[in-house]
Amino acid sequence: MDHLLYFLKRNTLASVGLLLLALLLLMVLGVPWFTEMSPVAVNMSQQLLPPSWMHPLGTDYFGRDVWVRVIYGGRYTLAIGAGVVMVAFLMGVSFGIVAGFVGGWVDTVIMRSVDALLSFPTLVLAIALGAAFGPSLTNAMLAVAITLAPQFARVARAQALAISVKPYVEAARCLGVSTPRILWHYVLRNGMGPLLVQASLALGSAILQTASLGFLGLGAQPPAPEWGADVSANLPYLRASAWVALSPGVAILLAVLSFNLLGDALADWFNPSKRHAP
Amino acid sequence: MVRFLVDRLLSLVPVLALVLVVIFSLARVIPGDPAVTLLGPGATQEQISALRLQLHLDQPVTQQFLSYVTGLAHGDMGRSVKSGRPVFEEIMRRLPATLELSVMAMLMAIVVGIPIGVFSAIRANSWFDHLVRVISLVGVSTPAFLLALILQLFFGIYLGWLPISGQTSPFIFTERVTGFALIDGLIAKDPPALWDAFLHLLLPTTVLAAFLAATIARFVRNSMLEVMGQDFIRTARAKGLSRYAVIFRHGLRNSLLAAITVIGMKFAEMLGGAILTETVFAWPGVGRFMFEAIKNRDYPVIQGATLVFAAMFVLTSLLVDLLYGRLDPRIRKKMQ
Repeated sequence: MDHLLYFLKRNTLASVGLLLLALLLLMVLGVPWFTEMSPVAVNMSQQLLPPSWMHPLGTDYFGRDVWVRVIYGGRYTLAIGAGVVMVAFLMGVSFGIVAGFVGGWVDTVIMRSVDALLSFPTLVLAIALGAAFGPSLTNAMLAVAITLAPQFARVARAQALAISVKPYVEAARCLGVSTPRILWHYVLRNGMGPLLVQASLALGSAILQTASLGFLGLGAQPPAPEWGADVSANLPYLRASAWVALSPGVAILLAVLSFNLLGDALADWFNPSKRHAP
Repeated sequence: MVRFLVDRLLSLVPVLALVLVVIFSLARVIPGDPAVTLLGPGATQEQISALRLQLHLDQPVTQQFLSYVTGLAHGDMGRSVKSGRPVFEEIMRRLPATLELSVMAMLMAIVVGIPIGVFSAIRANSWFDHLVRVISLVGVSTPAFLLALILQLFFGIYLGWLPISGQTSPFIFTERVTGFALIDGLIAKDPPALWDAFLHLLLPTTVLAAFLAATIARFVRNSMLEVMGQDFIRTARAKGLSRYAVIFRHGLRNSLLAAITVIGMKFAEMLGGAILTETVFAWPGVGRFMFEAIKNRDYPVIQGATLVFAAMFVLTSLLVDLLYGRLDPRIRKKMQ
């Protein structure tokens, strides 16, 4: 762990990512200390004010402070990222590990289904599923998770294939350890590294895609301060008050960037040939 | 070659069947009775029964799936719930606009991405390389709609240089022969129309190309670095080839091979971005059609558009495989 922290600190881009992420976490956890304003309270006398000391990012059409909405939106974004990746991880890894470990027709059926899901452009599939499930944040998250799961399944299967022939797995089998227990205690635990890299890489796209669904009206519904939905809700005022639509958009960019910077560095960390490169 | 093609096509069959199952299920996972949901509140019982009949909801699911697939084989994707017109025709009418946009974006991404990737590999760890790494990470982290809005604001509203919506200006009346505004302009030998089409393409193409160019640049850089460290490059250098010949004839050619797979996959991936880009730029393509269908809960259209995007995805990966064989003699040999 110390080595990893040292590696991340020495890597400038990863440090920037860590810093951005720390700021995001600070904002999200400390919102009540920063401001007492509500992200949803309407104040029609303060419509579309330009940025000022009172309102650093101005106000939107309903007189709500954009900065407060952006920081409350951070809560949604973190929850979305974590939630989507967790569901995708659970779905993908359980199928992938079983496919790799059991093999045979089970493997064929699972992996052909994974291929079928991978035959869609991810965002198209997420949009189509989101449209079918109906517009809500939970449905959008589920839709995005389904599109991300195949990648986890692939990695998990490869890990399970490699680990299932290891002597300690054979030993466990001889001792009569049950298959579920072998999968959980031996295969999953030893194959965790690449899966975690995959998870950290998936965080960025989970947030980006859920925001895109929100932008199309398939995600969080107003008045929830979700960033993607906020960008599209403020499009009509783009010409006169650009900050209202752009602020949540830039927030998405920074959040996704922080995860991508970290994911990028983590991928290098797990790649021995690159670990010592600057 | 033919054998390889046949094998490859046959291996697509089970995948395509599952793709159809997924798309078919799209309209069946709607909670409750799809006919009621589709028609919304205020529908009469007769309307609901008529729609149930039209969507074959009165038949068993397997029967429904079979008639869906048989319909597809005849180019029948059902009718739009909103307009009542056949979905297949509606999509085909809009497909050229989407293809024009995505092909232009891919060309732009290749023209920008590959040289940048090569240059940052040659100058690995220079300030240029670091700059490219930062820009491409920002590029893959930017939501397409944000980039679109910023470009619209700057070039369209602030500077007023470029049009920000549509495929052509309202006062341009070239005959729509192919549906590709650029090609129609060429056929009509109408330079102003051609120029107009080109200007309209610029911003949406840039938005769509940005993500792809960033990915291509990073990938070419990494694979180029890997190739340049190999023995045959040292041999080429040792036998006194010029720096130029080593980099382009030996290095780039070998690293492009790997890049083609990524370009193909990302091209198809980019089609998803077309939904966002077309929506923001009011581009009359399949993506915006799908967006409108989502707003109207027009499931036959959503299914049809999803199928078209998936078909383009599968076709692209097939093309990539074939191209790969053409370019790499080792794989070509295996194919024969």
